[in-house]
Amino acid sequence: MPSLTNDRPSGLPEGAEEVSVAAFARYVGPIWRLPDGEDGALKRYAFRVAEKHMNSAGSAHGGMLMMLADTAMSQTSRLESGAKSCATVSLNCDFVGPGRLGDLIEARVRVTRKSRTIVFLSAELVASGRVVLVATGLWKIVFEP
Amino acid sequence: MSAWPRPDFSEIDLVDPFEIHVGPAYQQGVPGSRRFAFRVDGRHVNRRGVLHGGMLLTFADLSLGAAAWDMTDRAPCVTLGMQTQFLKPARLGDIVEVQPHLMRRTRALLFLRGDFMVDDEAIFTATSVWKLLGQD
Repeated sequence: MPSLTNDRPSGLPEGAEEVSVAAFARYVGPIWRLPDGEDGALKRYAFRVAEKHMNSAGSAHGGMLMMLADTAMSQTSRLESGAKSCATVSLNCDFVGPGRLGDLIEARVRVTRKSRTIVFLSAELVASGRVVLVATGLWKIVFEP
Repeated sequence: MSAWPRPDFSEIDLVDPFEIHVGPAYQQGVPGSRRFAFRVDGRHVNRRGVLHGGMLLTFADLSLGAAAWDMTDRAPCVTLGMQTQFLKPARLGDIVEVQPHLMRRTRALLFLRGDFMVDDEAIFTATSVWKLLGQD
């Protein structure tokens, strides 16, 4: 079992595990993987909006929202393809509504199509049932030389 | 490795807590045609020493947002959407630079794009649409 962080926020579902282990993800995180939904068809990731994630308008910074989308979709590409590594090729994000300080922002990721080399994904970021961001993107399965 | 920051760049006085957290970022030129840059340091990379996509996305939001602000005389505006392509990995120590371009401006919307360069080679490209608050 991966270890849980000490600053695990209240209200996080049982079984949440930290996935932000590399430098940048750890620096802006923590980011958690939550238990799958819909019999495994839905992959779930989340972070809690803290002071460091904010913009000067009092919302969660768009960069951090896109960071969660990128992390959640990259990890899902890896899980679904079984590849050691997947690289983001394109990511398109619509900012539907603001994230607020203290919100648990959850990314719900679905695989649209998986070919031998490419994974097509979509994701919805939600906070307390409100949609904050929707994203689609392509990931390239990286084959070891 | 060349010295950074170059003498023609100055540090941006960042305001957003998240940008301060991942910064510093640098600028060159006058409002309306500013160039923006940051240096990839140890905080920005993944375990293979490659710049994390999340940092590029944040820098894209920062730089295109700052350009949008220049072009609206600092009127409040928000990002409606951002479309990005990751062309090539950037690595520890690289200087990532962009000069955002305004593609079109309407009363309510700004359309921007930026090609993000390392050593004069494009590594990432972004377009974004910004909404001027209170304008229809």
